[in-house]
Amino acid sequence: MPHGSAETLVEELFRHEFARLVSALARLLGPSHLALAEDVVSDALATAVHAWRLGAPDNPTGWILRTAQRRAIDVLRRERRFSNLAPELTSESTVTAAVEAALSPAADASNQLALMFAIGASGLGEVTHVTLILRLLCGFSATEIARAFLVDVATVERRLHRGRTRLKELGTLGPPATAEEVRERQPSVEQALYLLFNEGYHGSDPENPLSPALCADALRLVELLLDAPGVERPSLHALAALFCFNAARLATRLDEDGVLVPLAEQDRTRWDRLLFERGVAHLGASAAGETLTRFHLEAGMAFEHTSAASLAETNWPRIVEYFTVLAALSPNPVVAMNHAVARAEVEGLDLGRRLLGQLASEAKLLDYSFFWAARADLERRAGNVTQASAFYRRALELAQSRAERLSYERRLGALGH
Amino acid sequence: MARFMFIFRGGGYAEPGLLSPSELGQHLARWNAWTERLLTSGRNATGHPLAYPAGGKTLRGRERTVTDGPYAEAKDLVSGTLILDAASLEEAAELARDCPILEYDGSVEVRPVLVPPS
Repeated sequence: MPHGSAETLVEELFRHEFARLVSALARLLGPSHLALAEDVVSDALATAVHAWRLGAPDNPTGWILRTAQRRAIDVLRRERRFSNLAPELTSESTVTAAVEAALSPAADASNQLALMFAIGASGLGEVTHVTLILRLLCGFSATEIARAFLVDVATVERRLHRGRTRLKELGTLGPPATAEEVRERQPSVEQALYLLFNEGYHGSDPENPLSPALCADALRLVELLLDAPGVERPSLHALAALFCFNAARLATRLDEDGVLVPLAEQDRTRWDRLLFERGVAHLGASAAGETLTRFHLEAGMAFEHTSAASLAETNWPRIVEYFTVLAALSPNPVVAMNHAVARAEVEGLDLGRRLLGQLASEAKLLDYSFFWAARADLERRAGNVTQASAFYRRALELAQSRAERLSYERRLGALGH
Repeated sequence: MARFMFIFRGGGYAEPGLLSPSELGQHLARWNAWTERLLTSGRNATGHPLAYPAGGKTLRGRERTVTDGPYAEAKDLVSGTLILDAASLEEAAELARDCPILEYDGSVEVRPVLVPPS
């Protein structure tokens, strides 16, 4: 996941500065001035590009911070008409100190948490939540978000507009007032981060160079949440562990031609050892609570996949156990499908083929390319070349990305069809 | 060796809100890669970025009329210059071809710097 090209580093610097400064300004100015906060910070970043094109300064973050502070103070002095501002922001003698204090790096974590919880409280549904997070806490444009979700830009703009309006109605971007509020909002924040990570991992668009950044940001934000007062830590640790294990395998998901590589063929020596160990630490900490969440089960499975020396040596019985519990906890066709695939590894190909065949009437799976690819894989291994190639062709028709399509074409080629 | 001035106008960062933080960061990284190549290639290059927002004052004519601005459109405003050595105007123009300002519809004007006849 960490890749140190100059382009990634500067991009990350800009996105992270945007997240922390917008969070700070949004909290200072209040949610009715969210757009103003975004404008001020965007402006500071554009100023930085102007100034640094021909040579960067020694302390880029300090530079951006001072520029954003100055612009915020200028705007507040000039625009007396703003309503709903705290008194210290409308008085000439206090505005400078108030802005400088609010943007101080010491309050970074708490500002970003406050914004995350406010988004989680907006009750707009996970897709809008994650869209707001991608914009405000990750610094992506509507165009980039649209590309990640395979929707048009106007749809993303609408979601952002709805989100900003709702945050305005909520009236405050302070942290949750009570422990109850924290626990109430935590699941929707977790769900949004889960979606954020998956968008980067499975990605509607695997060619999208932003994918690793989405995974990295999901991990950054979930680790930030672990520092928040009053949160349920075990489920957050489980989520962080899941992110670490999956991110550790990110580098081998596509080959050098951009083709999706099946788990069986991935070069396990290239998996990220440090991320794996970070995941193990989180997984250990996740066991502290009484509650077993979906994230615990998924993290457990990801651990088994990432720690196995080969596909054959994977602890499939353990994975099947996890799936049995998961299927009871959150039953859905995709879980049932993956459960069947895991059972095939333990109880034999024929059982797997039969179980997947029974699922073929599920509407959600009919259009799901990975379902047909999974069926094709089992048929191929069972020696049914004709059936396998028919299923690969079906997967090929439904595939959402070039990486996926090329992967199925390669498989069809290997079958001689 | 002759000397040339690159005059930069417009580009993605010149219009507020056009680029996201992520896009601005990627864009800046490409700028830095481009200038780094010129600054370290023995071309005796020096860059002069102008402040943003533009601001400034303009004085005109014998009356010395002072106006605020320039207030041109973002795409027409000069945002900086770079002076460097190149073998010919063609080579200088070739160096400017890769300038990232062109990615967002900005422009680079390449002008020979006057050298006294020897």
